Amino acid sequence: MPDRAECEAVVRQLWPFIDGVVSETQREFIVDHLEQCEPCNSHFDFARAFLEAVHEARPHFHVGQGLNERVMAALAGAGYRA
Amino acid sequence: MPSSSTDDSPRSDRDSAFTATALPHLSTIARVATALTGDAADTEDLVQETFLRAYRHWHTFQPGSDCKSWLATICRHTFAELRRRENRSVAVDDQELESLAAARVHSTARAKGVDDMFARLDLGPAIAKAIRALEPHYRDVVLLVDVDGFSYEEVASSLEIPVGTVRSRLYRARRHLQEALLDFAIDAGYASPSYTLPPNHPGERRNA
Repeated sequence: MPDRAECEAVVRQLWPFIDGVVSETQREFIVDHLEQCEPCNSHFDFARAFLEAVHEARPHFHVGQGLNERVMAALAGAGYRA
Repeated sequence: MPSSSTDDSPRSDRDSAFTATALPHLSTIARVATALTGDAADTEDLVQETFLRAYRHWHTFQPGSDCKSWLATICRHTFAELRRRENRSVAVDDQELESLAAARVHSTARAKGVDDMFARLDLGPAIAKAIRALEPHYRDVVLLVDVDGFSYEEVASSLEIPVGTVRSRLYRARRHLQEALLDFAIDAGYASPSYTLPPNHPGERRNA
């Protein structure tokens, strides 16, 4: 079981690791740690589930109908035909 | 080796104590340094500086307290200071603190019995509402990165802000969102506190 100092160092890199912006050395270190440390692993799993849920909320951010119509009208004025 | 004017103990005792108490943690601190720097050469520099500082300030170490944590704190502070000195850090401390905050949100969710809320609940509308409630500079970044999938660099270029600022805003926005969703799940009546927290782990609150 890794010690607390190592756990804290790993958790401090939670977002950079999940976003894939840590160095290869850091990545290997964190992967090794997570394989041995369930508490840290659960933090990372929760963060990944959160990001997945946010991404899946994408359909809720469709552009407003007014803007859509305005763009389509402008395109139509430029010769666009849907 | 410099001696400390505030350390009245004979030097040999001090060295003996340092050897017995601090040096056994060298491997642990090297792992902490590796996580912080991500570079072998920088890791070695950081570990060396950490132990030099620990030795110089050994008189401030409380005998019987957790030396490993004391050294890890010195290591983190030294890293942050070196980064600032090298002028290549953009709020690294803040970004790391946001990562720790995310772990704390998870611990709270677990304590409330809603740590599986992303699998159990349809949070789409709540997520959309929470994102819209964010301040615009947070909202823009989280929409572009987490909803639309742009890279940090693409967003930095689009918004004409540094990549470090993108990261800082993104991580802060994620924390606000996680806290809002946690409140939503609890307010919606899904909380069922039943979990005993493992103590003394990053992200765990005492008496949560």
